[in-house]
Amino acid sequence: MPLALETIRLVKRFGGLLAANDVSLAVEHGEIRGLIGPNGAGKTTLVNLVTGVHPPDMGDVKLGGQSLRGCAMHEIARLGLVRSFQVTRLFGNMTVSENLMTSFFARRNRATGDGTKQIGNMLELTRLGPLADTQAKKLSGGQRALLQMACGFMVPGSCYVLDEPFAGINPVIKDAIIDMIVDVNRRHGATFLVVSHEMAIVRRLCRQVTVMMEGRVAAQGTLDEVARLPEVIAGYLGKALE
Amino acid sequence: MSASFAFPPSFRRSVITIVVTAAVFAFAPLVAGSFALHVLTISFYFVILAASWNLLAGYTGQFSLAHHAFAAIGAYTSGLLGYHYGVPAWIGIPSGVVMAALFGVILGRLVLRMRAIYLAIATWAFAETVHIYLTADYQFTRGELGLSVKPLYGSVDPLPYYFTFLALTVLVLIGLRALIDSPIGYFMRAIKDDELRAKSLGIDTTRVKIAVFSISSAIAGLAGAFYGHFIVLLSPQMIDFSEMAKIVIMVVIGGFGTFLGPVIGAAPVQMVMTYLQKYGEWNLAIFALIVIVLMRFSMEGLASLFTPLWRNLWARHDA
Ligand SMILES: Nc1ncnc2c1ncn2[C@@H]1O[C@H](COP(=O)(O)OP(=O)(O)O)[C@@H](O)[C@H]1O
Ligand SMILES: [Mg+2]
Repeated sequence: MPLALETIRLVKRFGGLLAANDVSLAVEHGEIRGLIGPNGAGKTTLVNLVTGVHPPDMGDVKLGGQSLRGCAMHEIARLGLVRSFQVTRLFGNMTVSENLMTSFFARRNRATGDGTKQIGNMLELTRLGPLADTQAKKLSGGQRALLQMACGFMVPGSCYVLDEPFAGINPVIKDAIIDMIVDVNRRHGATFLVVSHEMAIVRRLCRQVTVMMEGRVAAQGTLDEVARLPEVIAGYLGKALE
Repeated sequence: MSASFAFPPSFRRSVITIVVTAAVFAFAPLVAGSFALHVLTISFYFVILAASWNLLAGYTGQFSLAHHAFAAIGAYTSGLLGYHYGVPAWIGIPSGVVMAALFGVILGRLVLRMRAIYLAIATWAFAETVHIYLTADYQFTRGELGLSVKPLYGSVDPLPYYFTFLALTVLVLIGLRALIDSPIGYFMRAIKDDELRAKSLGIDTTRVKIAVFSISSAIAGLAGAFYGHFIVLLSPQMIDFSEMAKIVIMVVIGGFGTFLGPVIGAAPVQMVMTYLQKYGEWNLAIFALIVIVLMRFSMEGLASLFTPLWRNLWARHDA
């Protein structure tokens, strides 16, 4: 069985800055992989390379064994790769329900069933029901993040790339997001690559983590394994665990 | 894309409202004189132009300034086919629609990646080019002399034209409402709000934008083609910038990006402008000022006054 998500020697330069320097990553089917590293390490850049926001200068991305070279962003999404943005992006002038419906229409297929029913489920799961007809731009930061996640789950994807889904969110909403991730992972066998600084959550969700520093993959293993490496402690965890 | 899709309940309500309103207007000839009917007919023409431009600018965020040119392309296609080749209106009008749609696809593709202000300038340049062509190639287009077009009906009686444009308006509005309530309508609004996010969800934004450009151009071409067979004399003035400004004014005063906006904005603006015609360009300037104020303070247009009314009207059904 091919890997769910694979990056092969990705290189991306922004002017003089090597934001991705020979990044190779292999995520198995059904795995929830953690991606950690200090700010500016290139985590978001990697997410953007995988999802087609930036074309890589060199290297390739494979989704379920299929190369994504030359694929437009929307084509990658239609192959089942779902992402969330670190800085939450929603359709601000559309209501909560309309945001969910748009995500549904964008990726629906023969098997996806009834969008209205699925919106009902999502509103219940996220407890955003009372806000169903509220414009997304009027929501709080946490509600926005939650809605962005819910949009990604309207049609189950095969692979999720989540960029700091827990940053700046209250614990109740954090738990709601964790529950959604675990649920989609168990029920649909979806694969996850989760960027996060929250070590407690990473420990709970991810058997394996990848550490990025200065555009490179610095280490990989269980969280406890990488936490013991001197270079990881020096470059990242020393600061993160303080 | 073969998954099932059902229109929301609001779609049926909109259709009912459109049909009932049109039925009321069907009685207008009992009370209105022929000049008033003429003005109303032209108002319907502008409702169609304003509503189709609103689809492009208000819903999708492509602030085109070529909409009047697409109406002219529809009008001149049918007019020229009739004038030079004796082609009847029932072939000329669909030809005008197709021509406008084709130019819409081409222009839509050209301006695809342009940001707001560049798109506005590029589409304005396109309109000017069409304007210049119609004036310059006068041997074919008759230029400023004017192209005479066969009337749609035998007589000059305004009544059949009134009903033709009323019916056309109903059809176009129902069609637009259906489009807005369908997946592509969600995609249009998504693109206007955040194109990158729309792409990341799997929406082929290029296709949607070009499709909307050509649909809205085709509708302008349709209105223009009928208009030509109604006013029977076409001139390049149809692509005067003031015509485009009028469309913008109607939509902004009515409610930019709302369905009702262009519908209720067009007629009052057209009527006031007709009756204030003796003040010439000044009345355009006054309206332009109103538009600047409305946009500057991001005030909603007339449509927002009707929102509570609309809710109350259907509240009992929802309860
Ligand atoms: N679009 C861009 N243009 C120029 N520089 C960028 C761009 N995106 C990211 N960078 C730079 O690349 C480096 C890695 O950034 P990023 O991937 O956002 O890191 P992280 O998500 O790990 O905090 C940073 O120095 C950042 O300034
Ligand atoms: Mg980041």
